[in-house]
Amino acid sequence: MRQNLRIALTKGRLQDKSVELFEAIGLDCSPIRSPGRRLIHALPNYPLEAVLAKAPDVITYVEHGVCDLGIVGKDTILEQGKSFYEVLDLGFGRCRFALAVREGSDFYGTYRTRRVASKYPNVTKQFFARKGMDVDIIKIEGSVELAPILDLADGIVDIVETGATLRENGLVPIEDVAQVSARLIVNTASMKLHKAQIEDLIGRCEAELKRRREET
Amino acid sequence: MAYTIHTPEGTRDRLFAECRDRRDTQTALTDLFRRRSYSEVSTPEVEFYDLFLRSGNPIPQEAMLKIIDRSGKIMVMRPDCTAPIARVAATKLKHLPLPQRLYYAETVFRSGDQHRGGSSEIAQCGVELIGAAGRKADLEMIAMAVDALRACGLARFHIELGHAGFFCSLAERMELEEDQVEELRTLIEGKNFAALGDFLAPYQGQSATAALGKLSRLFGGAEVLEEAEALAGENEALSYLRELYEALCGAGYGKYLRFDLGLVHQIDYYTGVVFRGYVEGAGDAVLSGGRYDRLVGDFGRPAPATGFAVDVDAVAACRPGTELPRVGTLVHFAAGELDRALTAVDGRAAGTCELSPCETLEETLALARSKGALHVLVLDADGERMVEV
Repeated sequence: MRQNLRIALTKGRLQDKSVELFEAIGLDCSPIRSPGRRLIHALPNYPLEAVLAKAPDVITYVEHGVCDLGIVGKDTILEQGKSFYEVLDLGFGRCRFALAVREGSDFYGTYRTRRVASKYPNVTKQFFARKGMDVDIIKIEGSVELAPILDLADGIVDIVETGATLRENGLVPIEDVAQVSARLIVNTASMKLHKAQIEDLIGRCEAELKRRREET
Repeated sequence: MAYTIHTPEGTRDRLFAECRDRRDTQTALTDLFRRRSYSEVSTPEVEFYDLFLRSGNPIPQEAMLKIIDRSGKIMVMRPDCTAPIARVAATKLKHLPLPQRLYYAETVFRSGDQHRGGSSEIAQCGVELIGAAGRKADLEMIAMAVDALRACGLARFHIELGHAGFFCSLAERMELEEDQVEELRTLIEGKNFAALGDFLAPYQGQSATAALGKLSRLFGGAEVLEEAEALAGENEALSYLRELYEALCGAGYGKYLRFDLGLVHQIDYYTGVVFRGYVEGAGDAVLSGGRYDRLVGDFGRPAPATGFAVDVDAVAACRPGTELPRVGTLVHFAAGELDRALTAVDGRAAGTCELSPCETLEETLALARSKGALHVLVLDADGERMVEV
């Protein structure tokens, strides 16, 4: 049986922000900052160990209970579905899902079935299902902006931060699909079996988030 | 891909220890159920699709494995045991006096997502107490849930209680549209602390807002009930849970019990107390149940009912493991000595001794070496002798 809580952090940009948050609530994150060859990083001053993973794997680890907690973007949660508790919006990693089309084109102004390219087919499907609209969805792995340019699709659903990449490629966002930010997620059984420990961590994060909100 | 040598996604071959652990767990559970006078029922593995669409039944269409029969009717591999048993209770058992105590040990089928490691075949063992409402029936069922996990040899577990009526009574006090209630419920079920606060922000000042805002955090020991009473005031569901808790504590069950007032799943289906069992080592609830007073009536015989199901393989995986027995002795016997050979096998511990099918002793010794057996017992007209391998 594990003594420490285990958290899965999304590698990359969210990782840095997560570490900043943890350091702000008094956790010594030096093992994560200088990982060496280790894959599991035990924190020296708090009963928590961290693993670093790609976003979809964070969800997999938490769902299976091999990690008790995780920090992952709402974009991945929306795409993968979920059976875990999504307890906190951590406020960083903010961006949005948007529907973008070629400048000057009229996406809705036709009865022809529209074709939409996306790295996030489930998000796209749910968005148009809510509108009661049938669309053909094409899954693209790389630069989705290319699809409308090559005339493969009428529009794209993708993560938009500043919109600069879209503009450069002659695309304009016409509608927001969902707001995205990093979330703290918890395995359902862990939440019940390690309530005090998990509540302590959540409480500290909440206090810090509140402080940040009041600062701005 | 060779379809002849792989099993379909979500299914698997189970070998040796896995089978034994599943069987032992089932036996531990069914022994308890029988001791409490529950009788076994077995319903078809294939049923009409329509059966599972009744009474807010919570299984989504895409999770059911479907078959179209020759006349074009849609059938499903049974995704749940409660609906078929409710049908049996309302039809085949309609002349028997209530309450009826029924149990089952069956496989249910649910198609999960690809590559998520879930199984489509889930061994379930469960009970239904049909035709009994009220405190004593709920006490019996909760005590049985605790005893079921105890009977499986688990030590670090607890049963968590909630009540479908608590959320409903709070939601009724709010001025909310139906889809807003559903959104609220989803946020509470997902323990989405922050989003719940945002959702309720415009309703500050309404009488139930404070309690609803805290609902996803109202889980833990009995102190949760006091906290909830302080937030929600006098509440029928809360007093009922307290009453149950005190009675169960009196019977020595208190240390296994916890509460989660944010247990608001399937509120169209459950009508009263709901409960779940969590075990150290399992990533999800291993036991799930509650009171469902409307389902049996949907089949034509109104009757209150309560029950639960145990996920047998999940429990089996949490039990302390034991080694499989190893074959230590082979019996090499001459023609005509079959009865003595079988007596020798039957007289030893199960799985430690087996017959050799070989004609010569050399072949038997070779077989013993390849199996890692330590002795060969030779039985012939001269008597018996033990040969070391």
